[in-house]
Amino acid sequence: MFGKLTSLAPYVALCAAAAWLYRDAGAFAAAARPGQLGPDFWPRAILVLLIVVCVCEIVRRLLFEGTARDESAASPTSGGADAQVASEDRFAWCLAGGIGLTIAYVLALDWLGFFVATALYLALFMAVGRYRRTRVIVSASVLGSLAFVYVFMKIVYVSLPLGRGPFKALSVWLLALLGVR
Amino acid sequence: MDETLHQLGLGFLHLLTLPNAASLGVGLVVGMLVAVLPGLTLVMGVVLALPFTYGMSVTPSIILLTAMYLSGTYGGAFTSILFRIPGEPLDVPLLWDGYPMARQGKPAQALGWTLLAALWGGLITCVSAVVLAVPFAHFALRFDSPEYFAVVLLGLSGVVALGGASMAKALISLCIGLLLATVGVDDTYGVDRFTFGVPILKDGIEYLTVMVGAYGLGEVLTRMEQGFASPSIDAGKKVETRLPRWREIWPLRPTIARSSLIGILCGIVPGAGATVGSFVAYGIEGQYGKRRAELGTGIAEGIVAPQVASTATVGGHMVPLLALGIPGSGATAVILGAFLLHGVQPGPQIFQTEAAMVYTIFASMFAAVFGMCLLGYFAIKPLIRVLQLPEAVTSAFVALFCFVGAYSARNSLTDLWMIVIFGIVGYLFERFRFPIAPMVLGCILGPIAETSFMTSMIAYQNDWTIFFTRPISGTVMALTVLALLYPAMRYVRRSMRTPRTTVRHA
Repeated sequence: MFGKLTSLAPYVALCAAAAWLYRDAGAFAAAARPGQLGPDFWPRAILVLLIVVCVCEIVRRLLFEGTARDESAASPTSGGADAQVASEDRFAWCLAGGIGLTIAYVLALDWLGFFVATALYLALFMAVGRYRRTRVIVSASVLGSLAFVYVFMKIVYVSLPLGRGPFKALSVWLLALLGVR
Repeated sequence: MDETLHQLGLGFLHLLTLPNAASLGVGLVVGMLVAVLPGLTLVMGVVLALPFTYGMSVTPSIILLTAMYLSGTYGGAFTSILFRIPGEPLDVPLLWDGYPMARQGKPAQALGWTLLAALWGGLITCVSAVVLAVPFAHFALRFDSPEYFAVVLLGLSGVVALGGASMAKALISLCIGLLLATVGVDDTYGVDRFTFGVPILKDGIEYLTVMVGAYGLGEVLTRMEQGFASPSIDAGKKVETRLPRWREIWPLRPTIARSSLIGILCGIVPGAGATVGSFVAYGIEGQYGKRRAELGTGIAEGIVAPQVASTATVGGHMVPLLALGIPGSGATAVILGAFLLHGVQPGPQIFQTEAAMVYTIFASMFAAVFGMCLLGYFAIKPLIRVLQLPEAVTSAFVALFCFVGAYSARNSLTDLWMIVIFGIVGYLFERFRFPIAPMVLGCILGPIAETSFMTSMIAYQNDWTIFFTRPISGTVMALTVLALLYPAMRYVRRSMRTPRTTVRHA
């Protein structure tokens, strides 16, 4: 029973979100010209379709749970991968670490600058990903970050974040060293 | 036809310039590497290459991405056949006959059949693209907004019908993509929609961030949850290719012809693609092939059919992309993005305004087919050594490519947050087994669908029957209905069969 309810959760959440967005879309209906469809028509049509599909799926799962599972498993392009994922061990802490690290990277980028933030991100990402060869981690993260700085700032002309305070000074020194003006 | 051949000849001459030739070479090698690495999908590879094209001119950019796309449909065959690891979903059918053939002590023959199939599929797809593109573009000149809406709707329904996962999940994914496309300032009325007071959302959500996040970071997070636990591979294994003899090839004529047709059709129909083509070709071989009873035991037909079809989809995809500006797959959506980033809008007029560029791209596709086969024959041994790289290291760099690629487009840190958000969305999609492709295509085709729908409604006084009463749009709408009805009928048929099976088991 708990499994059934869990499998319904995404559809219930999507249905609720769609209903809320449908209500929100009413706010821009006022802009419609007389005799013409308003700017709310298209999103609302999609939201109605989304709600209908979610409700149908909820009903189907409640009444024909076995059939729904069979269909998902029988899918030719996703079945193999699904089975693989289902049978493998999950590393929740690894995933949580990866997501946390990725969020921290985006937060730190403006402060630390691209080079420092990226070198740290790469090294910690490999460590969180259960890779333990320290020399490879350090060299890959430092050389990789340098290569990215060189390629994107010197060749592709993308202005990567330099950071603030001492980190900016470090980035500027590094760019001068790499011959990036 | 003379004019086409003349333009194609000029295209080959333009291809000899250094930037074009270099892009072709790099694209072939990188595409092959991406296809060999199980953690990187073909679409992901093309997406990650996009930022490198910002500083290039349009023709080499498209050549780079197209070459990656073409060689990516071939490279994954090596890991499927030799190590039973499909580099791409489209390589899965190769496991069923390619790997058994290799296990029978004939890996070189299996790789030889793959090379032959990729060569034939590639050549036939290039010829079909050159032959079909101009008539397609002339035909498209007759299109008005109802026809455009009908074609886009067919593409969207195709991705739902042929998406692989359950139809409900594909439809939900599609709706989410279409909704994402509505965020921002509305084209017709100039009204803010779903911006929630956030200024950056006024510009809308870039479909590239959706693609990069969901395909790239989402996949990395999924693999991270599995602890980057792919088995280590002895890539030093003997990798050789032995081409089949003419008398071995000759009996496979029907298989090659069927699979070529399936591949080209799957390419032209928006939403279907190399993976669908590969599976359908194998399925058709299982139903109509001369040696269908032996399929799955390691026979050449089981290798040739999916490989010919998957490579043959590439040219098919390029036809609606160039002639209509409508991408039919993830990879062609990125190629469309590259066109737009360089200020070129594909469509029927492109054959007049940018003929030199179009035919250089076609010429590069011909060269890419030969290039990828030569690469596969002579250089695969060193290339396949990338499999020895630790997955955690390659995944860290893939994640970084996602961020740099997204940042490069607008130099905005907000786009990085979008990548994080859609990376998590992509992971959740994988976790709950929702297909990502409908969301991405919904995001790309949504604005075209809405604009053509609203324009039709304004032009024809809200008469929705206009989509069914005009000959071209009516025909396309009928095909759309069929595309949507087919999986529904399949589901009903399966549901009717299930209780009987249960009773029998009981």
